[in-house]
Amino acid sequence: MSPTHFEKSSKNLIGRAIQSSYNYKGISLKDLGLTAVFNCVLAGFLTFLLRDGTYWNYLIVTQCIGLSICVFCESGLWLFKPQSPWRMVLTVAAAILFGGLLGAVIGSLLTGIELATFVEQKIFTLRILVLCLVFGGIASFYFMAQDKITQTRQQLQEERIQRLNSEKLAVEARLKMLQAQIEPHFLFNTLSNILSLLDTEAVKGKAMLRDLTSYLRAALAETRTGQTTLGSEMALIHAYLNIFKIRMGERLQVQTDIDEALQAIPFSPMLIQPLVENAIIHGLDEEIHGGIIHIRAERENDILRITVADTGQGFKPGPAKGMGLANIRDRLEALYGGRGRLILTENQPTGIKAVIEVPYAKPL
Amino acid sequence: MPSPFKAILADDEAPLLRYLADQLKQIWPELDICAEARNGIEALQAIEAHHPDIAFLDIKMPGMSGMEVARRSADLCHIVFITAYDQFAVQAFETAAVDYLLKPVEPQRLARTIQRLQQHLTRRTFDPASIHAVLRVLDERLPEAPSAGYLKWIKVPDRQSVRLIQVDEICCFQAQDKYTIVQTATQEFLIRKPIKSLCEELDPDMFWQIHRATIVNAAWIDKVSTSVTGSYVLTLKKRPGTLTVSRSYRDRFKSM
Repeated sequence: MSPTHFEKSSKNLIGRAIQSSYNYKGISLKDLGLTAVFNCVLAGFLTFLLRDGTYWNYLIVTQCIGLSICVFCESGLWLFKPQSPWRMVLTVAAAILFGGLLGAVIGSLLTGIELATFVEQKIFTLRILVLCLVFGGIASFYFMAQDKITQTRQQLQEERIQRLNSEKLAVEARLKMLQAQIEPHFLFNTLSNILSLLDTEAVKGKAMLRDLTSYLRAALAETRTGQTTLGSEMALIHAYLNIFKIRMGERLQVQTDIDEALQAIPFSPMLIQPLVENAIIHGLDEEIHGGIIHIRAERENDILRITVADTGQGFKPGPAKGMGLANIRDRLEALYGGRGRLILTENQPTGIKAVIEVPYAKPL
Repeated sequence: MPSPFKAILADDEAPLLRYLADQLKQIWPELDICAEARNGIEALQAIEAHHPDIAFLDIKMPGMSGMEVARRSADLCHIVFITAYDQFAVQAFETAAVDYLLKPVEPQRLARTIQRLQQHLTRRTFDPASIHAVLRVLDERLPEAPSAGYLKWIKVPDRQSVRLIQVDEICCFQAQDKYTIVQTATQEFLIRKPIKSLCEELDPDMFWQIHRATIVNAAWIDKVSTSVTGSYVLTLKKRPGTLTVSRSYRDRFKSM
């Protein structure tokens, strides 16, 4: 039996063995089957070419060596799970060596051909081993590369999914903004007030209707464009406050300090309005005698600072007062990274002071 | 002629109060409106002073909510709730057959309610139990309901003022002698409250004690890994560094 058949069958086996066991699933029947089929063909080929043995003998030896190497390779990889290319090559090389030897021994026993015939041709054996190792190494690198490609593809896929997710979150946030702006309690209460004023205090009633219209128009416009100016946002908030001034009477005092120069600064919508809403609904409206709301916008070097302070009931454990705040924080994080902050402190003598700080952007 | 029925009205918004009073005068002129309250406390005082047959109560009022007033006076007079918009409340009212009105008050709806009231009062068939039942239901659903009692905010001294930090902004608490260090993503504050009190007051599902001296916000845990010594090490989101779980607190992580 010539040593070349050993060489040929091992090369193919190594390739397949490495490929199949890269997932380190252990011995795969499919691979054993393929190996066996390949060996049948190889045996036939060798019988025809070399004519120094029977097909039967070639078949037995081929199968013994081939299947043994296959089993050793797959078991070895599954057992040791090498993570680096070098370790993998080492594992495969060892598997080929031991598998090949064992297979040769078994083959020799079964066919009666002496092992000596193999060992005689030492130089050829060495050459074969070296070739096996080289081929094994190449195959390893190839499959490692393949795996990296698959991994990268997976990563890209995951990133794509993440991006779609954030887009989805953004859309959901805009929907929520929309819902919040047409907050039913506020809407029906205001309409109620307008209705009740139309007969007895028509002027006030009409004013409130105009303010409600301005507020809703501005709020809806903002959700569509996604960006506004400080001036526009304050106009929306003024309409909102006017409504409450009529509803709450002297229970609501309003002070605003917005510099003319800051009116045209670009700003994200519905960052300030929730703070004003909280100040009134959770702060001032809870007090029997109401109080003052003070809104100020100022620039300090590179920072734009907006303060919404109220003298309401302040910090009280209980209702979901925090809800809108988490959303504001998330949006500041998304828009400005660490440079946008929301800070809440206790106001003196009572109430809350909410401050938004963002990097100052030039007026549009 | 029997003495006219008495009623008190309560709403913190003056236009609405006046509107209701006007509507009632039109549809039920014999009704004696003996008081108009502007907040929950005034409402309760008016009920106790005038002993009305009916109390029209706005739900959201400063001082004391309409619910709370109803709870305390359901046995004294018949309650009619007034609300601008509240799905849950309305459902509950319908189920318990409790009288309610929606703002803005519609004349036809008001007329129907008045008819019912007149029937109940003449026959003395109104039932305070339905009010109590509905209040129990609403206690679980309305935002005014008492919360689970867990801390949602931490007050920390910050230079000249007192800063309010929401618990979900806090990454962890570390004990320092009798004080506690409160760590957020970017800052640290010192508070007087000892770790032990915090353990009791914080939601145990949200905050896990991992060490005699450390409580961590579970939502901030990025990864749990095992160190060479076998103890669990936590890597946090948004903050560098790691936290080690002490032996006595391992159980929670074992099941992961």
